[in-house]
Amino acid sequence: MLTQCQIKRVLLSAWWGLREKNYPMPINKNAYQRYVVIDSLLRNKMRPYPTLEQIVAACWERLEIETKPNTIAKDIERMRRLPPVGFDAPIHYDRYHRGYTYTDPDFRIGNLDLTDEDIASIRESLALVQSIGAGRIDEKFGHAMQKVLATVAEAYEQPGQNAAPYLQTMSAPPSRGFAHFELFSQACRAQIPLSFVHYSYRKRTFSAVFLHPFLIKEFDNKWYLFGYSEKHGGVRHFGFDRIYSPQLLKRPFLKFDTTATFETLAHSYGVFPIPGKKKQRVTLKVSSLITHYFEAYPLHESQLMKKNPDGSATLIFEIVPTIEFARLILWHGYHIEQIQPKWLAAFTQELIS
Amino acid sequence: MKKPAKDLLFHAKATSNKENPTLLRVVLGAQTTRLDFGYCAPFYYDKGGWITISPQTYLQLKGDTKQYALLDATGISQAPAKLNFESTKDYQFFSLFFEALPQTNLVFDMIEKRDGTPNDFNYYDIELKLADGVEVLG
Repeated sequence: MLTQCQIKRVLLSAWWGLREKNYPMPINKNAYQRYVVIDSLLRNKMRPYPTLEQIVAACWERLEIETKPNTIAKDIERMRRLPPVGFDAPIHYDRYHRGYTYTDPDFRIGNLDLTDEDIASIRESLALVQSIGAGRIDEKFGHAMQKVLATVAEAYEQPGQNAAPYLQTMSAPPSRGFAHFELFSQACRAQIPLSFVHYSYRKRTFSAVFLHPFLIKEFDNKWYLFGYSEKHGGVRHFGFDRIYSPQLLKRPFLKFDTTATFETLAHSYGVFPIPGKKKQRVTLKVSSLITHYFEAYPLHESQLMKKNPDGSATLIFEIVPTIEFARLILWHGYHIEQIQPKWLAAFTQELIS
Repeated sequence: MKKPAKDLLFHAKATSNKENPTLLRVVLGAQTTRLDFGYCAPFYYDKGGWITISPQTYLQLKGDTKQYALLDATGISQAPAKLNFESTKDYQFFSLFFEALPQTNLVFDMIEKRDGTPNDFNYYDIELKLADGVEVLG
């Protein structure tokens, strides 16, 4: 039986393994079921060398699906193809026996010995991903899962038909630039430099950027690409929505230290640190009403809460102050009564002045 | 000599003679030459005005009379059509595709209208040195 960790690894590897630019069209459920039947017949030592007609008969018997020899021949061709399209199945037509066989007797499509519990866990995860939905991520993830589940002859419904109806999460409309997600992830994963055009909302200027990307980060449903910018001579991040015409480049990828970036992000609420401000203690005095929310939904892992007898509280954070953090303070209005350090209070006020 | 089947990308020098639209990149492709531009709608036109590119626009190498014709444009309308803005804060990224320039060190002009006005998208003395080019993957 697979552990949760193993299942997670299977899901992730299946997902990442299929994240190529020229992604194949999804294979329908019936095709996968036929693959499973074909696979089992080719591995049957008692009745080796099945013919196309015998496979057609087996499909009817096991799946109650009417198939034609032509379809099975195409299925075999597809099974022979390399992943992610096929399974790289070593299927050989034996002229002497007039039937099909695996040249590698140990081959089978997939080697996952999934239990019912494993399958249930995968299906649940799949429904969750579909419900969360992140553009094409869930589409590809779903496609990868078709393969995983096909190996255990588990019927898989197409995305949208079987997402958890009891679960509803915030689903944002498609955002500009998200179409480049695959290209950016490929660039980060394979360490390929990029050139793109960036538009600065604040400066109202366009610029061309050479970036050596290493991280994609989402915050509050906004997506950012982090990397070493040759133009800036340091690590910068760029909102997907402001990136135009990214191109992968054939040039050496610059190695640089990413530790500081990851540390800053770990100590931040958001992605835009207030310039010149390092990690520090931030104290907020919050109303009794808002205390409930901070208690239920801590803002950051460093959050400490000291409750007062009247229900109000003092919140203490050890964070890198960010623009997003300042905006959050503003959003709570009069429910946040005092802010320390003083400069943060002043900065927050400046945002609305 | 046979043209190498690769696309070379150049970031344009900031010293272009025309700032809006800004010439941002040039891709010397095996099949086409692409010029990328960014345009910011100015404050002095009502609702930011409009932009368009003449289909007669061409590239011309310095010291040569041959014209490399505009083949396609994305992100901008070709005249007589116009891309209308809605505000003075709008902006637009667009690309122009021309017949392929030779992949050598070169200096060229992009001419929308010979002896035109400052409103025409004319760019002069765009210099590319092959050593600055970066091969584009895929």
